[in-house]
This record gives sequence, C-alpha cells and structure tokens, in this order.
Amino acid sequence: MGKTKKYIQVAILGGILLIGGWAISDSLFSDHKIPQVGDRAPDFTLQGLDGKEHRLSDYKGKVLLINFWGTFCPPCVREMPAMQRIYDKYKGEDFEVLAINLDESTVTVQSFVKQYKLTFPILMDKNTVRRKYGVSSYPTSFFVDSNGRITDIVIQEMTDAFIESRITALNK
Amino acid sequence: MIENTKCECGHQNHIGTVLCESCGKPLMEIEGTIPLEMRYDGVARRSERANPTFIDKVWSFFSSVRIAVFLIFITLCGSILGTILPQENTFLNIDPSVYYKETYGTFGYIYYLLGLTDTYNSWWFRLLIISIGASLVICSLDRVLPLYRALSKQKIKKHLAFLRGQKVVYSTTLDFAQEHTSEARVAHASDWIKELVPHLKKRGFRVYTEDSALLAEKHRFSRWGPYINHIGLIIFLLAILMRGLPGWHMDEYSGFLEGDLVKVPGTHYYLQNEQFTEEYYTEEELPPESRGKGKLLAKRYETKAVLYQCSAACGDPGEAELKVVARHNITVNNPLHYKGFYAYQFDYKLTPQLRSVRVTLKNAGTGENYGQFLLEMKDPKDEYEAGPYKLKLSDYFTDFTFENGKPGTKSRDPNAPAFIFLITGPALPESGEIYIYFPRDIDKQRFNQDKLNAAVAGKFDISVNSMEDDVEIANYTSYLNLRIDRALPYIFTGAIIFLIGVVMGLYWQHRRIWIRIDEGNQLTLGAHTNKNWYGLRNDVTSVLAKTGLKVEAKSLDNGVNHQ
Repeated sequence: MGKTKKYIQVAILGGILLIGGWAISDSLFSDHKIPQVGDRAPDFTLQGLDGKEHRLSDYKGKVLLINFWGTFCPPCVREMPAMQRIYDKYKGEDFEVLAINLDESTVTVQSFVKQYKLTFPILMDKNTVRRKYGVSSYPTSFFVDSNGRITDIVIQEMTDAFIESRITALNK
Repeated sequence: MIENTKCECGHQNHIGTVLCESCGKPLMEIEGTIPLEMRYDGVARRSERANPTFIDKVWSFFSSVRIAVFLIFITLCGSILGTILPQENTFLNIDPSVYYKETYGTFGYIYYLLGLTDTYNSWWFRLLIISIGASLVICSLDRVLPLYRALSKQKIKKHLAFLRGQKVVYSTTLDFAQEHTSEARVAHASDWIKELVPHLKKRGFRVYTEDSALLAEKHRFSRWGPYINHIGLIIFLLAILMRGLPGWHMDEYSGFLEGDLVKVPGTHYYLQNEQFTEEYYTEEELPPESRGKGKLLAKRYETKAVLYQCSAACGDPGEAELKVVARHNITVNNPLHYKGFYAYQFDYKLTPQLRSVRVTLKNAGTGENYGQFLLEMKDPKDEYEAGPYKLKLSDYFTDFTFENGKPGTKSRDPNAPAFIFLITGPALPESGEIYIYFPRDIDKQRFNQDKLNAAVAGKFDISVNSMEDDVEIANYTSYLNLRIDRALPYIFTGAIIFLIGVVMGLYWQHRRIWIRIDEGNQLTLGAHTNKNWYGLRNDVTSVLAKTGLKVEAKSLDNGVNHQ
C-alpha cells in the first residue's frame, strides 16, 4: 500500500474527470444547436461568386451582416439596394456584408448581382450553412459583432435606417 | 478511537475488516450474529482508511454501493422525464424553440426550456452516466482486489468460531474408540481427511489439506462474474460516449432528387439517386379478399443509389473530384453500405420536374440544323456552341414570372424555367441578339415566347427533337436515412463481455467446505456458497455419506431460515 496505490487512485480519478469533462462540455457547447442571439456565429467556408473561398473567420474583428437571400424571394430582392447603400457608407469602418445565396444557379445570381450593382461578397451555399444557421424563412439576417457574437437575428425585410441602427449600435 | 485490528493469530488486518484475513476469526464482537457476514470474505474495502484525504473521500464516495444504487435510481427517473414528449431528434427539420410551444402549448414550452426535449444529450444526464461509470470502476476495484488477495492465499485451517459461524455447519465426534493414544488418533484423523479427498474431487472440488484440516473449493471463477460484467458495462458506456467524437456518429435524413448529386454532410461522400421506383401489387397478386377494392399495396420502393468519394475540391458538387465507391439498389431494410456508412430507404415524394433538355438550334426559316447542346435546369453552364453560333446564357429564371413588368422567379424549383441567351455569330450584330427560350411548351404559350423574341424569332428556333430521348425528367425525390455508427462494434463487445460476466455469476456458484478435526476426533465442518445452499448441503451430505456419516441435509442448516 502507500505511494503506488495513491498514484493509481489519482490516475483513475483524473481519467474519469477528463472523460467526464469532455463529455459534458461536448453536450454544453455542441454546435448541433441552432445559433441564438448571444451565441458565437458558427464558422463556415463557402465559394464566393468571385471564385474565391470565403471563411467566416477571415472576417474576424469586423462587424458583420450575414444575409440569407434568393432571387425568388421578393423581400430579399427589395432589401438588396438598402444593403448596398449601407455597405458603401460603412465599408471603410470594419463593416462587411456577406450575402449568402440559397442554392440558386450561378448564372441567375450573376445576372442579378450585375443588375443591382452589388459589390459586397456573394457566397454560394448548397443548403449546408443555411441548415447550420437554422434558417427556414427568407430573408434572414444575422448581425455579428467584432467578437464574433450574434447580436441580432432579423427575419424580415430591412430598410436603410434599420440596418444602420443595428450596425451603429455594434460599432460603439 | 483507535481500533485494534490485530488478530490473535498474529495477522495485521486493514481497518474495516470483519473476519480476520488469515484465520477467519470474527474481529468485532458480533455475538448472536450467526451466520457470519461472509460478503467479500469479510475483508475490508480497499478505500477504508484511518485518515482520509480529499481524494480518499471522493474515492470512498464512489466506492459506496448505496451511492451507486442512488445514482442508478436518479438516472432512471431522469430517463423517464425524457419519454414524456417526443425528443428533438425524432423530427426532421424542426425549430424546437417554436415547435414544442405550437404543438404542446405552455407545457411543451416549459419542457423545451428545461432542456428535456433533448434529455439524453443534456449535461446533467451525461454527468449521471459518467458518475455511474466512475462508481462502477471504483466499486469494482475496491472490492475485487482485496477479494482476489483473500481468495488466493486462504488458510486451510480456519478458526473454530469461523467454522461455527457459517450457514452450513456440522460437528460430530468421530468414532476412533479403538485408538487409545492421542498420537494414534491424530494419525487416524489425517487418514480420515485423506480418505475424503477423492470423494470431494469427484464432485469437482479442489482440495487442500494440512494435517487434520481440509479446504475444498470449487468454481471460484464465478466470483469474478460481476466484475467482468462491470468491465463490459464500462466498455459499453465509453463506446456510447465515443459517439460524440467527430465522424463517429451520424443519423441524418436527406432528400435526393433523381439525378442530383448531394453531399453527405460532415463526410467526403456524395450520394446520387439515379432512379427511384415505386411498384405496387397487381390485382392478380393480391389475396382474393383485397381484390376489386381499388386498394394499392406497395410491393417495392427502390432507390438506385451511387456513392462517390471525394478526393479534392470537396465543396461544390460540380467541381469535386469524385470516384464511385459503392452502388446499390436501396430497398426498405436493405441499405447501401460502405465502410461503416449506411443509407436506408426512408420516404419518397412525387416531385416531377425538368432536369435537362438536349436542344437544337435551327434556322427558323429554312429549318437548317446548326447544332445541339445540353441545357441543365440546375446550375446551367453560361456558354454554349451550336455550329457557327455562340450562345451566352445571360440570365436564367427557374420559375419565370413577370413582376411589375420585370422578369423574376417565383421559386428555386424549375417549374417554369426560362433561359435568356445572347446569340452571336454570322449575320448578327456584334453585340448579339437576345433570345428567350422556355423549354416547356405550356410556358412558351403562356409567356408568348415568339412575341418576346420578336424579330429574332424569325431567325432562330431552339427546340427539342424528341420528347423521349432529349428530355430528362426527375419524377421522384427519395428520402434516405444516412447513418454512421462507428461505436457499434465496441457497444457489441461491451454487451458480450457483460453477458459472459452474467453467465459466470449466474450459472456457477463458489462453494467452499472447511473441515478441521481437533483433539483427534472432534470434527467441525463449515461450508459457504454465494448461492444455491441446497446444492452445497447436498455436496456435504453425499461426501460425508461416503465416509459412513449419515447426515440429514436439513440438519446442516445453522438455525436460520434461508434457502
């Protein structure tokens, strides 16, 4: 008895603590849950219309507007010009718009972007990021602060004033 | 209080020892408690010590069987809570924060807020499971090691009080009257013991003798049954936890439109539904009583599936480098499987839609054939060639509509596809001519294709030659259940070990018989088993009968009522 027994005891309890800690934290911080306001925005990598890969973490430190849209959704189409105007106004101030298209054909999106003269990154999603973010009605917009936390989830058509109010509040 | 744990035989016992580890003498004054407490052979649990540290306290907390039973009971109650409403993972595509409130009202909402909609993955449920695991490991270790030590160095000659304290006892004075000297009687006694050995061996006992004392023992291995059982359980629990590792477990439902290549989430696999078939029994095949009632009985739902593995550029299905790794006609309960990945038939839907058309560009006047190309409804290419002409797809609408005089699309599904080409080539202006093409005749008329194309309509005609050969239509969306469960072999291993332990502990009993002869002819017998006392008494009486001692099995019972 004595020392070796003590070591075995500590080793076994340590092992249990390790496995238990992992199992419980896995349950607490699992990303199976749909992100809510206050959660960290789940990371993703998507092909952009510009042919480049865009990672959410590339935009770390910026205030983000992540917008899920499609040309088939009239309110999405209507709010696009407002998003472009706000983008033009604030893009110098660590603000970025990521417009995630909902699984449409490239030609369709390209023509739309040209027609509306959109200059912010357009990302092409094949339903994976949409599912990850639990988006089921369009348009849905996520406002993310510079720490990567979701500060607001908006499921409606947005106006200039609305977007501006959200991002100036974030920029503080 | 300092407990004196030294036995009169000179053996130093651990704190908490009930029966001396060496001679078996009861260490505490336990008058009247006959039979003796034989659990774990009276040895102390490993964790019991005089001055416990914090770690010792944690250890002895989990070492308690009472705590283990308590933990199991709480887990049982927690599991029951999870059965009140269907759990989140039983639904496809729901938002639980809305669904439970809408479906079950305020109760459902509270249920959701309490986290009971995903009971079995909640932190507290996992904490309970982990605690049960800890308790299993520590309880077993604390008992199996001292027990192993006690059983592997048993003293043959046990204390008289130990023998008399057993549940099965017998004592008599042997009739060695003809021997007058005590030496002769002692010699006779050891002969008597030696005579007994073959009879005991015949009944499967291992026999150890020492002068005029004997220990016969059989099926000691059955004592390890519960601990092997616990090892199985621990493997089982660990395997279940391993499902949380990335790539170890998946249980998803996905729709596959005929022809579509869909990425299996979280893997490097792509799955394609080449064709879905539904087949019904014909009237003739139905049993007579079901005929003529217009009943439709399904005979077969089949998805012709191809599984691809991606080696590079695994994002967009259009660009990924794919290799066919498996092909299977999936029917109900007959899944496609490849290296631990399974795809089961789950549901289907009739979703007729255009997939692609092979069109021909012709001269509208002369009917001259310029060339053919394939137009896909999903993500069409943006440039085509037909003879001397180049067609650039400048816009594409899947579900064409006019909204406020502007062209637009109503949905993502190709319900009314419209292709807008910019045609350049001989005898056309440098900037090209716009040509709108509707693959569906009904749309051509509805939106008046010729009128939209105006003058160009007179120059070109884009059309399909054969409805059968050139038009590809996807009729069905097949829903498949995609599964990976890499923990399953470990779960089975754990379960099998568990069962081996159960069988060892249930079908065999550890039986021991101690005999000592004092003063040459005073025979004392004590016997112990962990169960089936009837069998043990039988062993004792039949062996004694061989030596001429007629004993009633019932009379062996040590005054207490037990089986």
